Amino acid sequence: MKRKDFLSSVVPLAASFNSMASGRMIIDTEKPAIIPPYLKKGDTVGICCPAGYIMLPDIQPAVMKLNEWGFNVKPGDTIGKRDFTFGGTDEDRTKDLQQMLDDKNIKAIMCARGGYGAVRIVDSLDLKKFKANPKWIIGFSDVTVLHSHINLNHRVASIHSKMCNSFPEDWSKAEPVQIETIESIRKCLSGEKMNYLFTPNPNNKTGLAVGELVGGNLKTLESLSGSKSDIQTKDKILFVEDTGEYHYSIDRMFWNLKRSGKLSELKGLIIGGFKIKPDDAGEEFGKTLMEIVLEKVREYNYPVCFDFPVGHQKDNFALKCGVRHTLAVHLNECRLTETR
Amino acid sequence: MIKIPPYLKKGDTIGITCPAGYMATAKAEKCIETLQKWGFEVMVGKTLGSRSKNYFSAKDEVRRDELQAMLDDENIKAILCGRGGYGVGRIIDQLDFTEFSKNPKWVIGFSDITVLHAHLFTKIETASMHAPMANAFNEGENKFVRSLHEAIIGKKAKYSCAAHPYNRRGIATAELVGGNLSLLAHLTGTPSDINTKNKILFIEDIGEQIYSIDRMMYQLKRSGKLDGLAGLIVGGFTDMGDTERAFGKTAYRVVQEITAGYDYPVCFNFPVSHGKRNYTLKVGVAYTLKTGKKTSLLSEL
Repeated sequence: MKRKDFLSSVVPLAASFNSMASGRMIIDTEKPAIIPPYLKKGDTVGICCPAGYIMLPDIQPAVMKLNEWGFNVKPGDTIGKRDFTFGGTDEDRTKDLQQMLDDKNIKAIMCARGGYGAVRIVDSLDLKKFKANPKWIIGFSDVTVLHSHINLNHRVASIHSKMCNSFPEDWSKAEPVQIETIESIRKCLSGEKMNYLFTPNPNNKTGLAVGELVGGNLKTLESLSGSKSDIQTKDKILFVEDTGEYHYSIDRMFWNLKRSGKLSELKGLIIGGFKIKPDDAGEEFGKTLMEIVLEKVREYNYPVCFDFPVGHQKDNFALKCGVRHTLAVHLNECRLTETR
Repeated sequence: MIKIPPYLKKGDTIGITCPAGYMATAKAEKCIETLQKWGFEVMVGKTLGSRSKNYFSAKDEVRRDELQAMLDDENIKAILCGRGGYGVGRIIDQLDFTEFSKNPKWVIGFSDITVLHAHLFTKIETASMHAPMANAFNEGENKFVRSLHEAIIGKKAKYSCAAHPYNRRGIATAELVGGNLSLLAHLTGTPSDINTKNKILFIEDIGEQIYSIDRMMYQLKRSGKLDGLAGLIVGGFTDMGDTERAFGKTAYRVVQEITAGYDYPVCFNFPVSHGKRNYTLKVGVAYTLKTGKKTSLLSEL
């Protein structure tokens, strides 16, 4: 091996890594995030696939609903594209999302679905135009990569909510909670002040917190740890949710949050839905989700609430990441309210 | 400078503890017998074959206290973890390495024990052994089990394996670090996180879905762990699963693609894994990795 060449080629990489590391300290996450303009009737929503693939008919319920709300819809090139599990190759997905980020006529970008793949393209995106003309990015699960990345690096708010694949096909047969959750996306997009009242859990730690809301899928957050998209949680209200993980894995992820310093300076913690994979016979973990969470935050004083309606479930309400909220956890009432 | 614990002599004592998952005594009998045959005294902790009814070998406090006692006891010259599973991460921050730093000893194991290896390397600056654990001895005294014997008595390792078509040829001499990929990813951003710059990194994993391997490799890359490597050793990726919508790549292809832009040597199919092929590797010790046309060689300096 040409050791000399190797060394010289590694210098800029190492330098950029260092500047990245120190750059992270310079980013002022205490500065309020930019709120993209809310949407008016006649505005256009783009739909694209930064991760998993989706076929055109599967976005129709969302297209119809968005039209009904008075928005135009522009499906991107990745809709109907497929490269194995992905909605097109990395290049296809980058190009589609990049176009939508840059197109001034697109006021919001709804990710068609999650899956896996946003992390493969996030470093290829050029967010200069987006920063100059911020717009709402909408999605959850794997899209947590985008929420976390743009919150940290560009300080732009975004919407954590259901995506196209969760819009009911037949609205007349939809359950009230499906209608309400989809409706919450419209409320977010059109600038309504969000206000959620939810059922107290006896394990909650009561208290009041005011801070910027950040969060998303726990596994995805763990996978961003140590990277330049790593979520910053100091003085924030953090929400997490997950699906299909074993108890031990959830425990390990909460240890990652704790050991990487993400739990010590929170204003509040919101635990959303956790669809837990049952322990294998003879491998019982012996701790519930509540126990797993509470033992990690025992020494902190901030409010903690369980059962918030966010996650891989029907009652998955839209949340504005990067926007200030008040979390009130009382014995008889829990409330999350957008605070301007 | 990484501290190298003293190697063992006949008559030295090896402690066996289970800092993570539960293990029945019967499964460790062959191991104990073999260690005795090699001329070592064996001290078995009560976490082995405990009366635990759940996943763990014992409560956090019990696992912690036993490991702590073995770390502190000057008569114990090496600590062999009975098995991995999950659990070291729950107690790692409660361990006190003051005595251990004064009298370092070999900590042996793999899988979940990667947490200990990374922590010892990063925070305590002490070498440790990524090696077969008790259950491996039930396979008989094969060359992988023997590699542990040779390692603990201080014999320098020289391993070889057949070249893999994905290998990138080259030669590198550097300290070896690594372990289970899931744990290395999980430790990223924590105080136990390893700095891989100018190191030979080895990785292996079991029972993960391919997309998850891809995501973890991206985490290594995006946290700067693949940029400045001296070399990369890719061990077994056993029992890989796939999503309903196929990922379309093998685990090896995932690793090959993500490291394609670098020019350090990469050795696939190295015998370090959750399978039978699992050589003892000393984390924190310098090795030379040579990936040749037909053979890959890893020799301890």
